[in-house]
Amino acid sequence: MNIYEQVLNGKPGEKALLLGNEAIARGFLEAAVGVAATYPGTPSSEVGDTLSEIAKEGNFYFEVSVNEKVAVEVAYAAAISGLRSFAFMKHVGLNVAADALMSIAYSGVKGGMVIMTADDPSMFSSQNEQDNRHYAELAHMPMIEPSTPQEAKDYLIRAFEISEKLGMPVLFRTTTRVSHMRAPVVLGPKEDRLVMAGSFPGHLAHVTLPSFSIKSRKALTVRLEHAGVISQQTDLNRLEVFGNGEYGFITSGSAYNSLVDVIRKHSIGAEILKVGMSNPLPEERIASFLMNHDYIFVVEELDPYLEQKVRVIAQREGIPVLLHGKLDRTFPEEFEYNADVIERSLAEPLKLKLEVHEVPMVVQQVPPRPPVLCPGCPHRATYYAVKRAVRMSGIKDVTYSSDIGCYSLGAYEPFEMADVLLEMGGSLGAASGLGKLTGSHVIAFVGDSTFFHAGMPALVNAVRNGSRLMLVVLDNSTTAMTGQQTNPGLPYDGMGNPAKPVSIEEMIRSTGVQNVETVDPYDLKAFLPAVMRSLKSEGVSAVVARRECAILRDRELRKGKTMPVYVVDTKKCGLCMNCVTNFSCPAIDIKDGHISIDPDLCDGCGVCSQPMVCPFNAIIPGVRNGI
Amino acid sequence: MEYNVIIAGVGGQGVVTLGSVIAESAMDARLNVVMSEIHGLSQRGGSVSVEVRIGDVRSPITPAGAADLILGLESIEAFRVLDKANSNTLVLVNSRHMTPVYLSIRGKEYPDIRELARSAGNTARIHFMDAENLAREAGSERAAGTALLGAALSMTSIPFDAHNVHSALEKRFSGRLYDINFDAFERGEKAGIEVLEGRGDYIQAGKAAIGR
Ligand code: SF4
Ligand code: SF4
Repeated sequence: MNIYEQVLNGKPGEKALLLGNEAIARGFLEAAVGVAATYPGTPSSEVGDTLSEIAKEGNFYFEVSVNEKVAVEVAYAAAISGLRSFAFMKHVGLNVAADALMSIAYSGVKGGMVIMTADDPSMFSSQNEQDNRHYAELAHMPMIEPSTPQEAKDYLIRAFEISEKLGMPVLFRTTTRVSHMRAPVVLGPKEDRLVMAGSFPGHLAHVTLPSFSIKSRKALTVRLEHAGVISQQTDLNRLEVFGNGEYGFITSGSAYNSLVDVIRKHSIGAEILKVGMSNPLPEERIASFLMNHDYIFVVEELDPYLEQKVRVIAQREGIPVLLHGKLDRTFPEEFEYNADVIERSLAEPLKLKLEVHEVPMVVQQVPPRPPVLCPGCPHRATYYAVKRAVRMSGIKDVTYSSDIGCYSLGAYEPFEMADVLLEMGGSLGAASGLGKLTGSHVIAFVGDSTFFHAGMPALVNAVRNGSRLMLVVLDNSTTAMTGQQTNPGLPYDGMGNPAKPVSIEEMIRSTGVQNVETVDPYDLKAFLPAVMRSLKSEGVSAVVARRECAILRDRELRKGKTMPVYVVDTKKCGLCMNCVTNFSCPAIDIKDGHISIDPDLCDGCGVCSQPMVCPFNAIIPGVRNGI
Repeated sequence: MEYNVIIAGVGGQGVVTLGSVIAESAMDARLNVVMSEIHGLSQRGGSVSVEVRIGDVRSPITPAGAADLILGLESIEAFRVLDKANSNTLVLVNSRHMTPVYLSIRGKEYPDIRELARSAGNTARIHFMDAENLAREAGSERAAGTALLGAALSMTSIPFDAHNVHSALEKRFSGRLYDINFDAFERGEKAGIEVLEGRGDYIQAGKAAIGR
């Protein structure tokens, strides 16, 4: 049974080895949720990948929305129509959805609604490590935080119950180490989902004009007070005693797991208050916890969110307690916590004996292997062609404004074609300003999915305000970096059903941009002049570089067992090194002084064989032995 | 009890799949297990490592020096995670070499692995193994990790046995892929025994053992 079948058909009581995100998908089924909407983002993506696979059989609606704001709005629409709904995204996605979020708190919901944010301490795949617990406070919404895949599944069900009880959405926060932790999960019963059609939300029931919001503001306070009572009683917040229970620890999420390991390793007498509901906090329980311990440690990743609140409680209740956290610099403010970090932080106050473990010298001698574009990636050809075209056009002052996607890797060598790179859709917004306010030639890179996500309004802005820029849409016909999800440009939707694709070219033209060319990045000979023409135009021009993601292409080719491969004719090779220095496909390397292509890595795109990459025509089609 | 395995390799090599097989094997042996999967920025070609922690542990992150077993699907990647090793850690290094683009761009070739092994010295018990070839004999290079796991099982005590791995392979693979992986696992087991008996075409890192 593969994982998707296990999630879909696993029997109650069965144990399955699930990723946190897969466990969340199972929780979704067990909670009988009817509607799910998302915009993919690591570390949240596998929730959607799993739901997408099982949506039809599981009899629910799953949507890959155009962006996170719309995902939340679609889920909200379901919830006010009486259906249970789930919106999920990565932490920065919640910034995009924040406008909707703030108003939804005032509006309230009928069916249970849970909004998941997957935070990314240490920024494994994100531009920042913002702590989204602050959103719970800001939006006045309850927040629930699991620590393990089992809790992720179980707590999601609880979140829906709490949401329905309170008539408001509940925020559900994971981090990378919870979403991407795989562990045994005991499955529960799946509830039958009978209602799929929503009902009328109610006349004037969800309007947030000032005159309406003034009334709902008080209701919001009352709802949060109710949430406080729940937090006070719920076992989502729980106590655990180790040894004599002397030291008090308040912790949550992934930090809890590492903390328990440290406490056991050093046999620390400890009592842990594990916070599973982090907004509102169980204030009275915290107060009595503080009274029971002379020393308190608050162990949490990212901002001193719990610590500040605990300090306020101590001050307000006049509890004399020695409290250690981030604010007194016992624990580091940045990056994720593991047992090593926690152990080091506790070493001095608890007089722990630590073994010294030095990083062996050899680790530093290993050459770095940063992320790279895949062999056969169309983006490599795009960057290569644009760079050449800029040089051949004699342009010296060029500013590259880039965006979020696999093509972000264009910022790394050999291309280094990103001077600005902020957030989703930011390439076009920044380019709009740069093109208007500087004399530089501005080139904006944006992917197909990102263009739809937040690029479109910025394009309108650039045209409307007379900016000058060249837009390059790197259309690989998927949302690749997060694992090949669908997007509005593709002929199928999140459920896998046929859907009408939206044309990127027509969208661009409709804003008034006249010079729009579509090229195949694999065809360097046609691509280069297209970019050069585009660079000459006034105002906004656009090149759509369309070629599907190499991973998708691979999958197709492997099915047909016709994967081409390229080889180097060393007799012809002039050792100019252009292929490795300036094109840098990971399948090409130097062996014993010769250029060589690794057949297991080569994806057979053939771009390196073109004279623009290999002027000696030394790279030629070869024969592959088996696939 | 606590047993920590680290699998290091390059994106696209099946690092996560091997981790899952090990985790499923532990689960089949009725042990607690947690595993961390980090999905970085690139789909293929970047460094990837997966940690599987078996036994009485909560966090999926292995502390420095606490690894019991390291399986390197790509040669230099095994050395990159040696900060998690101690002098007792068994490190099995596959013969697969993938030159990082970082080197090619600079006109450099794949580093001398023996040099790295020499410099690692007694950091850990490092063994090189042509798992790539064992897997090829079984039907596909992609099963190299399974062969390494087989060898590890013969060479050190892991808290699960071959039967557990068999049922994990059954869970993860079907059809021809299952046959290939099953075969690769058995070939790995045999190769591991040969290494222990001082036979076979394998090198042990550290002073005397270098140079076959
Ligand atoms: S054909 Fe050339 S560029 Fe394409 S994947 Fe193979 S080596 Fe890389
Ligand atoms: S570009 Fe062609 S001639 Fe130049 S080093 Fe590469 S294979 Fe040889």
